[in-house]
Amino acid sequence: MSSQPRDTAPPAASDPTPDRSPAEPAHPAPEPRLEVPVKKTRRSGCLAWLLLVIAVFVGLMFIPGGEEEVAEVAGEFELHAIIEIPAIGPVDLSITKAVIYLWITVAIIVVISIVIARTLKPVPGKLQTVIESLYELARDGIAGSVMKAGAERWFPFIGGLFFYILISNLVGLIPLPFGEHEQLAFYAATGNLNVTIVLAVFTFVFTQYAGVKAHGLFRYMRSWAPSGAPPVLKQFIWGIHVISEVFRLVSLSVRLFANMVAGHAILAVFFAMALIFQSYAIAVVLQGGSVAIYLFEIFIAFIQAFIFAVLSAVYIGGALEEGH
Amino acid sequence: MEADAAKLLGAGLAMGLGAIGPGIGLGTLIGKAIEGIARQPEVAGELRTSMFIGIGVTEAVALYAFVIALILIFVA
Repeated sequence: MSSQPRDTAPPAASDPTPDRSPAEPAHPAPEPRLEVPVKKTRRSGCLAWLLLVIAVFVGLMFIPGGEEEVAEVAGEFELHAIIEIPAIGPVDLSITKAVIYLWITVAIIVVISIVIARTLKPVPGKLQTVIESLYELARDGIAGSVMKAGAERWFPFIGGLFFYILISNLVGLIPLPFGEHEQLAFYAATGNLNVTIVLAVFTFVFTQYAGVKAHGLFRYMRSWAPSGAPPVLKQFIWGIHVISEVFRLVSLSVRLFANMVAGHAILAVFFAMALIFQSYAIAVVLQGGSVAIYLFEIFIAFIQAFIFAVLSAVYIGGALEEGH
Repeated sequence: MEADAAKLLGAGLAMGLGAIGPGIGLGTLIGKAIEGIARQPEVAGELRTSMFIGIGVTEAVALYAFVIALILIFVA
């Protein structure tokens, strides 16, 4: 893109505007420059702060350490049964930390929904604005923009998926007293592979259901192979398509699970820097890093919920179209 | 080599090598998105949305390697 050349040519002879009278000067005389007074106190103030920070940092390095404590990062992901419920066959129904976090997510969503629904105002307050913008994002940005055919029918599922994963991810960033010995600790329900596999199974089952309902079982399964292909290649591509359909299940669940686990592991490492390096100085210096990584985790929570919902909408929309 | 040493070595290699591809892919993807926004700033919103979706899908590949590393360290 070239910039427009400035028009510095003089006005044409046929231009009706009168020329500037030669008595006026072309440019006004330059104004006298104002002297900016140099504030001498500013520089010494900066120097004093710098010396203070260095002194604190050096002083921290000399704090005598006690016993060497070990930071355990992996302890967050262990699940112990809080209320034992005997297993029905292979399914263990004990109430663990993850179950309680799932219930907390459900409780938050239900309470917020009831509060918003009871107090709907034409000029929305803060909470209503936030929920309305999230709702609009789910309806227009996710279901509306990706699924052409069944956006209205499938929006309850896609929107529910989006809100559930979003609230569950965010609750995982709030310290709750479920750590060892009732300490405050982080834990994300979606950081459990069982939870994310169930959510991905929902998407998988609904994809196949949508495809079968729209096209009939045999036509839907026949659409997985391209029509204009030689016979052996057709079966081969059909087999690969089946594998890729199953792999979507794996990729959806593992993406969400690994993002949450990796995020919490990084958070644990950053917050336990003093223990890992056995030095208070490094921990103080990395406090800003801890805050930055926490904000990044909030961002990732939104992004992962959005991506799960968008991919579910893409898969269901693709199954609805399937026009080969 | 002992089994534990081999497991840790495998975990390190898995995550290290598994992050090369997604790193290159993410750089290319985000660069193209920035180029697109520079060409046509009025569609910046749609480009940004597509960029985030692409980032999520590409980063998942690095996270598969992370999961393999975790399995090697804690489960195997």
